[in-house]
Amino acid sequence: MNKPEGSLKNKGAIISAKPSTKESIDDFLKKAMDKGVFDAVLIPMMVPAGDSFAYVLIEDKSLLKDAIPLPPIMSVQGGHAVSSVTRLGKGSMKIAVIMRPCEIRAAIELSKLGQTDLENVTLISIDCPGVLPISDFLSDPGKGMKQFDEAAKKWDDKIMRPVCQICDKSSMVAGDLHIGTLGAKNNTFLVISNSQKGNGILDELGIVTKESIDDWQAKVKNIAEEKHKKRKKNLKDLKTKIGSLDNLIDAFSQCINCHNCMRVCPVCYCRLCYFDSDKVKHPSENYLQMAESKGSIRFLPDTIFFQMGRMMHMSLSCVSCGACEDACPVSIPVAQIFSMVADETQGLFDYVSGRSLEEPIPLVAYKEEELHEVEDAND
Amino acid sequence: MRIESDSMKKDEEFMPKILAFLCNWCSYAGADLAGTSRLKYPPSILPIRVMCSSRVDPLFILKAYLGGIDGVVVAGCHPGDCHYEKGNYYTRRRFALLKKIFEELGIESDRLLLSWISASEGPKYAKVATEFTEKIKKLGENSAKNKIFL
Amino acid sequence: MTKTLKINKNVEQGILELLKFLLDSGKVNGVFTLKKINKEGAVAYSLITRSDGLGGAVPLFPLMPVNAGKLLSRFSLRGKSNKPVVAVVKPCELRAFIELVKREQGSLENIFFISSTCGGVYPIEMAVDGAVENNLSKYWEAVKKGEILAQLRPACRGCVEFKPYTADMTVDLVGKEDIDKRCAILLNTKNGEGLAQDMRGDFLEKELDKKILDKFQNKREIERKKLFDEIEAKMKGLDGFIDIFGKCLGCHGCSKVCPICYCTLCEFESPDSEYKPSNYESDLKKRGGLRVPPGTIYFQIGRLDHISISCVGCGACEDVCPVDIPISIIFKKVGESVQKLFDYIPGRDVEEEIPLLTFEKEELPEFED
Repeated sequence: MNKPEGSLKNKGAIISAKPSTKESIDDFLKKAMDKGVFDAVLIPMMVPAGDSFAYVLIEDKSLLKDAIPLPPIMSVQGGHAVSSVTRLGKGSMKIAVIMRPCEIRAAIELSKLGQTDLENVTLISIDCPGVLPISDFLSDPGKGMKQFDEAAKKWDDKIMRPVCQICDKSSMVAGDLHIGTLGAKNNTFLVISNSQKGNGILDELGIVTKESIDDWQAKVKNIAEEKHKKRKKNLKDLKTKIGSLDNLIDAFSQCINCHNCMRVCPVCYCRLCYFDSDKVKHPSENYLQMAESKGSIRFLPDTIFFQMGRMMHMSLSCVSCGACEDACPVSIPVAQIFSMVADETQGLFDYVSGRSLEEPIPLVAYKEEELHEVEDAND
Repeated sequence: MRIESDSMKKDEEFMPKILAFLCNWCSYAGADLAGTSRLKYPPSILPIRVMCSSRVDPLFILKAYLGGIDGVVVAGCHPGDCHYEKGNYYTRRRFALLKKIFEELGIESDRLLLSWISASEGPKYAKVATEFTEKIKKLGENSAKNKIFL
Repeated sequence: MTKTLKINKNVEQGILELLKFLLDSGKVNGVFTLKKINKEGAVAYSLITRSDGLGGAVPLFPLMPVNAGKLLSRFSLRGKSNKPVVAVVKPCELRAFIELVKREQGSLENIFFISSTCGGVYPIEMAVDGAVENNLSKYWEAVKKGEILAQLRPACRGCVEFKPYTADMTVDLVGKEDIDKRCAILLNTKNGEGLAQDMRGDFLEKELDKKILDKFQNKREIERKKLFDEIEAKMKGLDGFIDIFGKCLGCHGCSKVCPICYCTLCEFESPDSEYKPSNYESDLKKRGGLRVPPGTIYFQIGRLDHISISCVGCGACEDVCPVDIPISIIFKKVGESVQKLFDYIPGRDVEEEIPLLTFEKEELPEFED
């Protein structure tokens, strides 16, 4: 499974999680800001009305006490949030970001796509039990919070989103530091470095990583293997269900072309999407011609063109975060379908999106000899 | 323009920050006249010269309000006297639209003012500045400047 | 009195027969209407050019997956329709298209409109799992009696513009007990009369029943007031607004499905609205913390400023919102109040100028100093 990239020591530091993991993390960040290691922190907070969560860039340490590192929902994808802070330059602030593994990976993909500058950003990932479907949470936020906390304690993902239930990358994959809560003993959690930058940060904080992380790693491996099996099975079943043009058309029959999925997707960064551009705006003659050739066409046409086109454009960078499925107003299982395709397209190049900053996105690199299976047999 | 929060000591009176969009041909000249005539008015006004009041995109006003400005004045030539003939007629409609939106949302629409000030009306400029500053003082600081979840 | 075509069939059947006639006779080359596009009954707008393509068409289905005005704008954006087509649309969709035509985002030429007095539609989320299908008989009972179902979209429940202004044909629907057996289509314009000429059916002189529609209007006005009062209670200044929009994801779905929001590159997605690192730094000094991405409230109030003058209250925004913010009522309420300033009803008349593009020499003294 995932080998931690760039961590030079297979050791971590044990941090006390008293009175609670959340408060200890907030305290850890506060101390880091006191020491000047970070100037600001990007972390979720509850919104004033108490019915949702939003990423807040915090410079005033006193706000940290209201920060919630692992909210029960994913309202804005963290990669999106990071990109909006540093897309136009790294700025002068040293920023710590605490996000779920898929959000970290999205930020890394966005960096490769030139959409964010991570030089002054320290990416801190955290073991993720999944998130609730946004509509479930919104119907009763109080209950949602409780249910999530209960489930998170036991690492039980039954109430989490379908795409979270099949996520095999819910622990440390990429980033600079990682907070390991899985299998942690006696109200503690682990802080593990995942990069040179992470090593440097821990040094500055005076945190020595001398504790064994074997227990945690074993637990992570277990869960990842279980989830991986489930992922393979579920996505195989899905392929059977929708794997043909007719079934695909059926799967997207309710699609109203609102493009919410595209807009909340962290790696769909184009300011003007091809599928919103003049390229898809045809004169009436063309539409009538299309209709005349079949007797009747859906209007506007090209729903499958949009969906498959988006797959073509972004599946190599898809981190299976599921923001798309949460945003769909007609409950199409977009995240599952796109995950199914992304696993295959990324698998073609042995690529895992967001795994490493150094690993180029497959379409901007090539090997002189490769992919013979897609070439004509006679070549 | 950077707008910094006033650091206020408790016994210091609140001096509002009021953005004033002044049209080049009338209101800005009127403001100049107030100055050269040594008319007194509070140091609350931050003037921005525009060629015509109709240059003022309502989004400027909205952005300034959400950024924490305590008040916004849009001043132009009297209707019928616009240097570009009809600009201020459009200003009036756009301003009415934005102010109505603020009213409907219960957001302090009193922080927005539209005034016609001609080049010869130095005293009027000073009067508008003084009276509006008083009004804003009564309304207090714009709480938007501290808000995080905008 | 208006010339009216009466077909002795169930109202939807009658419309389908008319559409078949229009296609078969060559009077139109295309029909825009709602259609069931798969065996599970998913409903979407379709452009139908042959009468055998009318199978599964459901012109009066109580769902609005997309505002048809937006679709017609896309159809005629790159130039007027070169062939005559007829569109079966709801009153708000027609009004939206007229507002778009005023903004040069479409052309009315060669497009004819069949509309109806409108009983409202269900929220789009009910389209999933066949919930609309299961409620159809309940829906039609309510339409016949001129009643307002609680399950309809809020925008529809409070809509008082349920009578089309400029349709070539208006189907007499709301409050008519006999729509199971009779389809009455008022032919409002010369074009409408020309299209219906030679169609099988009875031609007579009729009017919409004013008493029935006034009664319905009253009911709608009561609902509207209730919805507006509810939202007004929540809109207590900037804090109240932040409370309502706190859960906004910034997905801009509301803007993308709004028929009036036609800008290819929205101001609030353009570089104009993007924060530079220096903007963050200065804002953080002021506030101590800032929600990221920034500009949620700026976008919402800014969009109100841009489109409220033409908001037709169609409710597409609220349908698409992933977090159930009551946007349609907020925009409808603000929209109606700014439109009232200028005695303007969006989409009432294509010749009526958008208030921001014109002026009176003397007006709005209440806004001047």
